[in-house]
Amino acid sequence: MRIGAPKETSRGEARVALTPESAKQIQKLGHECLIETGAGLAAGFNDDTYRDAGVTVVDSADALWQGAEVVIKVREPSDSEAARLREGQTLIAFFWPAQNEALLEKCKAQGASVIAMDMVPRISRAQKMDALSSMANIAGYRAVIEAGNNFGRFFTGQVTAAGKVPPAKVLVIGAGVAGLAAIGTATSLGAVVRAFDVRPEVSEQIESMGAEFLFLDFEDSQDGSESGGYASPSSPEFREKQLACFREQAPDVDIVITTALIPGRPAPKLWLEDMVAAMKPGSVIVDLAAEKGGNCDLTQPDERVVSNNGVIVVGYTDFPSRMATQSSLLYATNIRHMLTDLTPEKDGVINHNMDDDVIRGATVTHQSEVTFPPPPPKVKAIAAAKPKKKEKEPTPEEKKATEAAAFKAQTKRQIGILAIGGALMLLLGQVAPASFMQHFIVFVLACFIGFQVIWKVSHSLHTPLMAVTNAISGIIILGAILQIGSGSAVVSVLAAISVLIATINIVGGFLVTRRMLAMFQKS
Amino acid sequence: MLGQGFVSAAAIAASVLFILSLGGLSNQEKAKRAVWYGIVGMAVAVFFTAFGPGIGGYWWLIPMMIIGAGIGTYMAGKVEMTEMPQLVAALHSFVGLAAVFVAWSADLERRRVLAARAADGVMQEFSAFAALVATKAPDELTFLQIEVVLGIFIGAVTFTGSVIAFGKLAGKVDGKPRQLPGGHLLNAGAAVLSLLLAILYLNGAGFWTLILLAALAFFIGYHLIMGIGGADMPVVVSMLNSYSGWAAAAIGFTLGNDLLIVTGALVGSSGAILSYIMCKAMNRNFVNVILGGFGGSTGPAAEIEGEQVAIDASGVASALNDADSVVIVPGYGMAVAQAQSAVSDLVRKLRAAGKNVRFGIHPVAGRLPGHMNVLLAEAKVPYDIVLEMDEINDDFTSTDVVIVIGSNDIVNPAAEEDPNSPIAGMPVLKVWEAKQVFICKRGQGTGYSGIENPLFFKENSRMFYGDARDSLNALLPLVD
Repeated sequence: MRIGAPKETSRGEARVALTPESAKQIQKLGHECLIETGAGLAAGFNDDTYRDAGVTVVDSADALWQGAEVVIKVREPSDSEAARLREGQTLIAFFWPAQNEALLEKCKAQGASVIAMDMVPRISRAQKMDALSSMANIAGYRAVIEAGNNFGRFFTGQVTAAGKVPPAKVLVIGAGVAGLAAIGTATSLGAVVRAFDVRPEVSEQIESMGAEFLFLDFEDSQDGSESGGYASPSSPEFREKQLACFREQAPDVDIVITTALIPGRPAPKLWLEDMVAAMKPGSVIVDLAAEKGGNCDLTQPDERVVSNNGVIVVGYTDFPSRMATQSSLLYATNIRHMLTDLTPEKDGVINHNMDDDVIRGATVTHQSEVTFPPPPPKVKAIAAAKPKKKEKEPTPEEKKATEAAAFKAQTKRQIGILAIGGALMLLLGQVAPASFMQHFIVFVLACFIGFQVIWKVSHSLHTPLMAVTNAISGIIILGAILQIGSGSAVVSVLAAISVLIATINIVGGFLVTRRMLAMFQKS
Repeated sequence: MLGQGFVSAAAIAASVLFILSLGGLSNQEKAKRAVWYGIVGMAVAVFFTAFGPGIGGYWWLIPMMIIGAGIGTYMAGKVEMTEMPQLVAALHSFVGLAAVFVAWSADLERRRVLAARAADGVMQEFSAFAALVATKAPDELTFLQIEVVLGIFIGAVTFTGSVIAFGKLAGKVDGKPRQLPGGHLLNAGAAVLSLLLAILYLNGAGFWTLILLAALAFFIGYHLIMGIGGADMPVVVSMLNSYSGWAAAAIGFTLGNDLLIVTGALVGSSGAILSYIMCKAMNRNFVNVILGGFGGSTGPAAEIEGEQVAIDASGVASALNDADSVVIVPGYGMAVAQAQSAVSDLVRKLRAAGKNVRFGIHPVAGRLPGHMNVLLAEAKVPYDIVLEMDEINDDFTSTDVVIVIGSNDIVNPAAEEDPNSPIAGMPVLKVWEAKQVFICKRGQGTGYSGIENPLFFKENSRMFYGDARDSLNALLPLVD
């Protein structure tokens, strides 16, 4: 099959769907590659590098659309491009079928199959073709770079001879792929990063990237994992609480990066005018949701605006395109993986297998039928992560109260034991002879010392402890020694046997302990 | 001959040295010095007592000590570290038997003195212990009798109990709990009979009561320990350790010797604490362990989903090569398979590759408190990477690979997840929180408690079947 990548026609789009590198891999699948002349120029790939990779460079868009059986693109086709589609042709591109119904109808009418890269289901197997994630990653990175570009200070805190520089405080709203990438970039630049997300289960990911999770104490925080890892709209009460939290943050943070998107809806307004007004002059807001209306009230898509109090609001919508080389490399790889799945035999024949979860999910028109929306995938997007329950910290008063109660109970118990013990001693003292009581004092004290000492013995030395106590319990030999000189022959014999076995015990016990202890070595 | 003053001073010195000796076991380096305190203390005690006033019979004493020392040296040198539990049990039995003999002798002396008093009414010259008895008042003699009874009873239980524990640990007696028909009623009956005999004896019955008493106590020791399973031996051995101490203390009272009392009390409390620690580690109470067997479960066990997936050496090796942090959890199975040196070789190789390798030791792993530590030390595993359960349990989440070698119940997640499980509430090593768990095991069997282990069915678990030593030796060349 011939796979062709035309030059992107939409204004400002610098990316390209085929790179020399991905072309080589696609050729290994048995396909032929075509590219329109100059298609890769904006992304840093000239025609010659494509030729070197074995790609046929064609002169015009017409020739390409004519020649290619599979057209790979970045953006959705324009009307004129859609008109060029023909029956049996396959188009692979970002398509946004939910927003582009007319276009979808048109493609169906032309009889072409369309695979929408934005519809690739979020399951582990399909991660390698998840172009949304790879683009979001770039957007997150670039958002921090843009913010830095507009921000007049360092990210990292420094103490220099010329004075002390505080670190920049960055707030990231929405910890999806873009948000996490932004967190990672900002922390690696040395900023103090906080992050918020409506899905409490992502707190671990946020913390793993080095940011502080702004925890919202709300009873039914939503379980975002139900909707395939994407956020869903939140209740009004929750929203209020969330806004209050942001309002508190606004005067403190220097840079705000908002990435909150809800699939198939306009972006939620999370950074309101009054919050912008509360920020320090020179602060920067980068709104990654600008294309969908923006998370910030002041956002103008594709514009950089400055508020009355000097806060810069960046609303660019083409972050991936601003890093065209990087994003083309990643996107072309995503496309290449999609083609690999479409060519299971590696024989250059496309097998549009509608039973395959991933291909089925991404296909929006096939054989003159609209196949959007797809049935739910058989595999759940993300194993339903249980939201972590934060244990309620007891208040200092409660803590004090429980401690006092425990102390009281302990005191009661100890006094009880002492009283019973004392009474028993008293009774014993009434009947026992004085000599016995003297020995008894020694016995009780020795027990106490024993308990104190043994608790300190390290667990790993319990076997040597047993061997040592074994050896010293051979002290019973003293009893035998005291008796051995008796006038009675029976007593002497019994005592002699006792001496023998007690000696075995003493010598054996000590020697084996020494042997064991000698083995313990430090690394 | 040394005077009484010397003997008393020696007793004080020996007591202090013994306490220092036990206290020194708080860490590995101090312990090496501490054992010398114990040796010196014992030497001082024996020397000054033997050459103290009123001691005779050196023709018996010295040869017996020489022979005993010879046997002890030979045993200590020959024993394998895996055989430590049975050695300790065997040594306990000696203390028990000696206690019985000494107590019998004490009573014989008492009778001799009384007989002599009754015969001529005047004080005749007695030697040795009899001389001490001769000075005692009648109420003191009654207490002496009580002490004799206690000494015999505890000593005799310790003796047969330790012999059986030795047999079970050495594999000479079947490790399964086994009892005569009648079960614990027999023990209770024997105990009641012993009490009757003791009362008879205190009321002036003949020496036969003491012999019978010892026989009954021998039976109780035998029968009690026969009813306890092999895996509960850590508790049993610590308990017998404790008993041997109390027996020595009882004899100390009989003989009026404070050093014996002090030492006996130290040993007794040490054993008691060890038993307590072991029971706590199994979340069972002492009575439950001694009476044997697990209580019936309170409901149906939770269903286990999934299947056991086997893996071969190359699979384990590649996971190890990729891992940064590795935790090894050994159990009794490692001791049985004598796999400790193979484990040590593996650890050395992994550490040489810059990986963080540690050991997680559950308090009841093995057949003796601290058994695993000694085996690993023997195989030259440095002790500072051998951690206790509490030290390592929080680290499993950040661990790449856990290798479980021959342990089962101590890594059973049912203890935490299934309230109906017989081991519910027992503290366990949370190995399942690691990214991958490999279980080195002979076959698909259940552990000592006889319950299924859900760990083996978890998604991140792989079964590495085979003899532990052979498996690890097969693994070694594949790890780089």
